[in-house]
Amino acid sequence: MSGFGGRAAIVGVGATEFSRQAGRTELRLACEAIRDALRDAGLTAADVDGIVSYTVDPVEETELVRAVGFQEIGFSSRVPYGGGGSMGTLLHAAAAITSGAAEVVVAYRAIRARSGATRFGGAKTAASPTSGHSGTTAMQWCMPYGVLTPASWMALNATRYMHTYGVTSADIGRAVVQLRAYAETNPAAWGYQRPMTLEDHQASRWIAEPCIRLFDCCQETDGSVALVITSRERAADLPNRPAFIAAAAGAGLFEQEIASDHYSRDLAVMEGSVALGRRLFERSGFRRDELDAAMIYDAFSPILLMQLEALGFCGFGEAKDFVAAGSLAPGGALPTNTNGGLIGEGYIHGLNLVLEAVSQLRGTAVNQVPDAARVLVTASRTGAILTRD
Amino acid sequence: MCPHCQSLDYKAEQLSGRGALYSYALLHHPRNPAFDYPVLAALVDLDEGIRLVSNLVDVAPGDIRIGMRLEVAFEPTAGDGSVPVFRPARSAS
Ligand SMILES: [Zn+2]
Repeated sequence: MSGFGGRAAIVGVGATEFSRQAGRTELRLACEAIRDALRDAGLTAADVDGIVSYTVDPVEETELVRAVGFQEIGFSSRVPYGGGGSMGTLLHAAAAITSGAAEVVVAYRAIRARSGATRFGGAKTAASPTSGHSGTTAMQWCMPYGVLTPASWMALNATRYMHTYGVTSADIGRAVVQLRAYAETNPAAWGYQRPMTLEDHQASRWIAEPCIRLFDCCQETDGSVALVITSRERAADLPNRPAFIAAAAGAGLFEQEIASDHYSRDLAVMEGSVALGRRLFERSGFRRDELDAAMIYDAFSPILLMQLEALGFCGFGEAKDFVAAGSLAPGGALPTNTNGGLIGEGYIHGLNLVLEAVSQLRGTAVNQVPDAARVLVTASRTGAILTRD
Repeated sequence: MCPHCQSLDYKAEQLSGRGALYSYALLHHPRNPAFDYPVLAALVDLDEGIRLVSNLVDVAPGDIRIGMRLEVAFEPTAGDGSVPVFRPARSAS
């Protein structure tokens, strides 16, 4: 075992409201979430000596330091892979804390995915420089062909997945129905009090045929989430029940791209998630069936099924049966995305899934899993296993 | 750089323009004024072992089948260039 063994923990969480029109800058959103996370943790800005985010975030670290009032930052980093790197913030934070590089780390993401200059799900018509990390230069090979949006990149892989394993749109819709049922009772969610049936899902219009309908897409959302991470020792003196980081890992493989990820030989398998799952379960020493809940990056619903397989919760091609058995729902084999997921709650580029995992471990979740003690958080190629004890 | 041997040498090779459909998607939304919808987006595995993102032409959406044999055609794109697109193979290959 080479995990963190709970030697680092999430001790504070903060978030703004999730909306379609925040009416303020990403910098301000980040400041609000961080302020709230520090209050939740019982710490002040002066306690913080590390800051971590991931590469697409528009908030410049130096501005954040000056705005929030951090006094002396000894460690800062950003995880690559776009939203796939969201859970890597926990890896970086835990590595910094357990190595002694930092004592108190703030992880954050602020986004205006809906009201920003370009909608997050909209068309990209120029290749980003690699340093921007919102995509690699491989994206230029998509653009002459009108393959311009996150849904279109995802769809090329998802069609292959469905073809390989005989998966239908209704099979995928059954997962969305289970997520939306959680969202329906979550006041923070876009899907709050908006019931959705499989019939509704099947009647929603195609975004990319034959795999992504409107209701298979996450909500482009404005908002921010911040987390405060520190050592087990320091956590013991703080007011909240810590969410210990039992293991955290990343896996970026040869031939993988960030969004236009079309060049691995077998696109029906999310091989990065296979490697991630192997690392997480080896490092934590846990078995798959010892988890009480999972938060799995669901920017588009087909990748939820693909990750369930890649992470080893069922065999390849079996996610449709795993889902049809109600496994994601309350009382199921693996209650999943109990906030409604990115599809049902909102899309803070993945980090709101960590917020939900912490709520589950504190016992304060809106859709509480009874006695939740071990929760997985993953985003295709980064992830962590969090524990209550 | 060649990721297998780290060589920086390269040369242009003539390809057959033949391959098979690895995957596809009919893109309906959101729409960009430069394209006609639905966009027939494709992943094509060339016989030489290279995978390309491209478009399908001369095929009705209902006739698209993963694995179908394809051959290259060229269509104009922005500027003076042209890009390779793929249509169902007309001759046995
Ligand atoms: Zn070589």
